[in-house]
Amino acid sequence: MENATPALFFAGIDIGSTMSKAVIVDADGAMRAYVVGPTGAEHRLRANRVMEDALQKAVLALDDIAYIVSTGYGRVNVPFADKQITELTCHARGVASLFPNVKTAIDIGGQDAKVLKIRNGRLIDFLTNDKCAAGTGRFLEVAAETLGLDLNEMGHISLQTDMPVKINSLCTIFAQQEIISRLSEGTPLPDILAGVYIAITTRVVKLARQLKVEPPVVFTGGVAKNVGMVKAMETVLGMPVLVPQEPLITGALGAAILARDQAFQLIQKDEYRVRRDKKLGEAIIDFGEKSR
Amino acid sequence: MIDYFLGIDIGSVGSKAAIIDGNKIIASVVVPSGTNYATTAASVKEEVLNKAGLQPQDIKSSAATGTGGRNAGADSYHGVIVCDARGVNMTFPSARTVIDIGGQGSQIITVDEAGKVTNFNASEICATGSARLLQLVARILQVSMEDIGPLSMKASKPSNFSTSCSVFLETEVITRIAQGDRPEDILAGIHRSIAEKVSAMSRGVNIQGDVAVIGGGALDTGLVRSIEEKLGVKALVPENPRLMAALGAALSARDQHTK
Repeated sequence: MENATPALFFAGIDIGSTMSKAVIVDADGAMRAYVVGPTGAEHRLRANRVMEDALQKAVLALDDIAYIVSTGYGRVNVPFADKQITELTCHARGVASLFPNVKTAIDIGGQDAKVLKIRNGRLIDFLTNDKCAAGTGRFLEVAAETLGLDLNEMGHISLQTDMPVKINSLCTIFAQQEIISRLSEGTPLPDILAGVYIAITTRVVKLARQLKVEPPVVFTGGVAKNVGMVKAMETVLGMPVLVPQEPLITGALGAAILARDQAFQLIQKDEYRVRRDKKLGEAIIDFGEKSR
Repeated sequence: MIDYFLGIDIGSVGSKAAIIDGNKIIASVVVPSGTNYATTAASVKEEVLNKAGLQPQDIKSSAATGTGGRNAGADSYHGVIVCDARGVNMTFPSARTVIDIGGQGSQIITVDEAGKVTNFNASEICATGSARLLQLVARILQVSMEDIGPLSMKASKPSNFSTSCSVFLETEVITRIAQGDRPEDILAGIHRSIAEKVSAMSRGVNIQGDVAVIGGGALDTGLVRSIEEKLGVKALVPENPRLMAALGAALSARDQHTK
C-alpha cells in the first residue's frame, strides 16, 4: 500500500459514434477540463488523443488521474480506462449533476437518440433509437449535405421563419427527395430547414411520449447545439427545455463523476492502490483483488 | 362494339397504365413518375391509347390508384391494396398472398379466391422495405438495376449487415467494400436485409396458399429468391410485376361500369 495517497482527479471518456469527449473533474466533482474531437475510424488513437488533450488543458499528468471511466459506443476501445459504464448511466449522472431536478433527458447524438427518465439523479427508465437515421443527427447531416450548408449555419437560417414546411417522409432517404422537391417548388430555405428540425424532433418526441415527458426537460447531445433544433424541440414538446452550455459532454462528465465515486468507494474500503505506467495507452491500475 | 377499360397507377417512382377488354390486357405502359402527377397521368394515358390504337372516347370507364392517383383525372379512385389484389387475382387465380415491393415501401396482402382483400399490412415509408435501397446500393457498386439479380445469384458468402436503416446501410456497404467483400456478396446481403424487413411485416398476416411477389422489387430475381428463402415459400412473379395495380384499377373500372 505504498501508493495509497491518490491524486484526486478523475476522468471520463465518451467515445461516441461521431464525436469523442473527455472530461476531468476534481475531488468535489467540479469540471477542470473538457475536450471534444471527431471519433474517426481509430477509436484507440482517439481515446489517447482526447485524454492527452484534456490532461494538457487541466495541466495534469496521467499519473494525477486516480480513476478513469470509459463510456459510449466505443468504450471498449479505451485501454487505459479502469472501468466501462454504459452511456445511459453516465448520461443520467452527468445531466443530474448539472440540473439536479431533471426529470426527463432527451439526447440526440450522431447516430442515435435516447430518452431518459431521471428521479433524484438516478436513471429510472429509458428508450433508445439506433435503428433508423430519422430522429438522429445523421438526418441533419444528410439535409445539410443536400442543401450544401454548414450544420450551424442551418440552425440560424431556420430561425428566420415561423412557417416550417411539412416534411411528410419519416425515412431520411425519402425526406432528402422531399427537400429537393420543396426547393424546386420555390419554398423559402428557412421554411424548409425549420421543417427538417420539426420532422426530426417529432420522431424523437414520439419516442419520449412513450415514457411520458415530465418537466424539467434537459436536451443534450451534439444536435442540441443547434439553435434551430432547440426551438423545434420546445415547439413540439410545448414546454421549455434546458440545454447545458456544452451539450456534447454530459456523458463524459457523468463518467468522470462516476469515476470519482468509484475511487472514493475503494478508498473508503482501503482497497485503492495505484500503479500507473507513465506511458499513455499502457496504463496499469491495480485495485486490491482486481489486477491487470 | 367492344368495351375498353383503363387503369392508371401513379406510383412514387413509376407510373403505369393498362387497357383491358373484358379480361385481357390489350396494351400497357410503364414510365417514370416525375414531379407533376397530373401531367404524368395525362401522358401515360395518351401513350397507352396510342399503343392500343384507341381514341379516348373508346374507353368506357377509367380508374386510378397509387400515390398520385387522385390527380390522375380518372372516373374513380381505388386504394392500391385493393388494386394489387385484383390484378394478381386475374394473373394468378391461385395466389392467396401478395407481396408488393414498391418504390417507397412494401405491403403484404392476403386475398380470397375472388380477389377480395382478407387482410394486409403495409410498411411505413422506409427505404429498406422498398426497391429504393437496391437503387442506392446499385449506385455505390456501379451495377445497373437489371444486373443486380443475376450478379447476386453468384454470391458465395452474403455480407452481414448490422443495421436495417438504408442510411446506415449505405455507410456499411462502403465499409464492406473496403474490407474486400465482393459485390455479389454485398448484394445478396442487402437482399437478405430487405427480405428480413418483409418478413417482419408479414407477422400478423397469415401467409397462405401461393405467394405472388409484385412491384418494382419483383424484377430483381435475387431479391425474390431471398424472400422465398426467408419465408419458406415459392413465389409467383408476373411477367410485368409493376403493372398489377394498374390492371387491378382497370378491373375496378370495368366493375363500376357494369354495376
